[in-house]
Amino acid sequence: MQDEDAEFGVDSRYASYQAQKADGQKLMEARLERMKNVSEEDVKRARLMQLKLQIEDYLEKPTCSKQNFFTNFLSSYIDTIYTKRSSFANDIDITPVRLSQVLNNHREPHEEFMLRLMVHSEKAFQGVCDFPQKTWYQVYYQEKICDTLLREDEWKPRAEKHVKLRYDKKKK
Amino acid sequence: MVILEVETGRKHEVVIGPVESKDFRKLTKKRYFFNWKEEKDQELYKLRRVDDSEILGLVSFERIPSEWRIHIRLLTVSFENKGTEKQYEGVVGNLITYVAREALKDFGEMGCVSLIPKSKLAHHYMDKYGMRQTGVTLSVELPEILELLTRYDHEK
Repeated sequence: MQDEDAEFGVDSRYASYQAQKADGQKLMEARLERMKNVSEEDVKRARLMQLKLQIEDYLEKPTCSKQNFFTNFLSSYIDTIYTKRSSFANDIDITPVRLSQVLNNHREPHEEFMLRLMVHSEKAFQGVCDFPQKTWYQVYYQEKICDTLLREDEWKPRAEKHVKLRYDKKKK
Repeated sequence: MVILEVETGRKHEVVIGPVESKDFRKLTKKRYFFNWKEEKDQELYKLRRVDDSEILGLVSFERIPSEWRIHIRLLTVSFENKGTEKQYEGVVGNLITYVAREALKDFGEMGCVSLIPKSKLAHHYMDKYGMRQTGVTLSVELPEILELLTRYDHEK
């Protein structure tokens, strides 16, 4: 009987801000204590899931700003799995210098880089959660689209000089 | 995310999205047990079947970034989904999982979802959703939060 009625309603609004603060403090102490028993593996799983959820959010509601989403997400991904970024570079068989150039937006990730990243992510997310293969490409191109639109004033006058629209006369 | 139709055993895909102003007219106390207009300024979400606009459950919550937690303020199912005669199973589980997903997204491994049910019902939430008790407050954290997401979020 107890379980039958358990789910029709919970009202757990705090009576005051003080009550919320006091409850939060007690809860925090207990949580920090419990966190000591959480395995490194679970922390890693949580961070990978967090990254996936953040990427999903970005792809659902893309923000057009000067932020570097692709490299920010990529840096989080690498830092979740490795203590040294050079280890990731070794694992996908590129030089640490090349990786650093990509992460610092000094160089575009070439196709081979993207393909290796896809394979790496497939392995890393195995047993954690679903991470569609196309994800990194989607983030990369989404950012490219936004970046292009944001810089329209820079490229459009230049491009317009080279574009005409002339219709061919139809043959009778 | 799916719910189970108790009578037929059929699974139905559900979506959870923000409550819109036009919804408030339907959110009566008789059918949804609380005065939901009081929650207008809070984050307020509804659960419905993908193929139906009927609201089957509601949750309002507050993000508390300084404590890496999200506190559930109000949580309910519709009148038809209460008790042994309930139409669907899994409405509350999906709503809690939705909040858990937000907590994990915002706060990573420190993410936490809390609520304060009536004391006699605490065990139900602890058994069913892996919640832990601190005083009168129940919370779901790592690693149970991951199990919850795996159980509900990926269920087809």
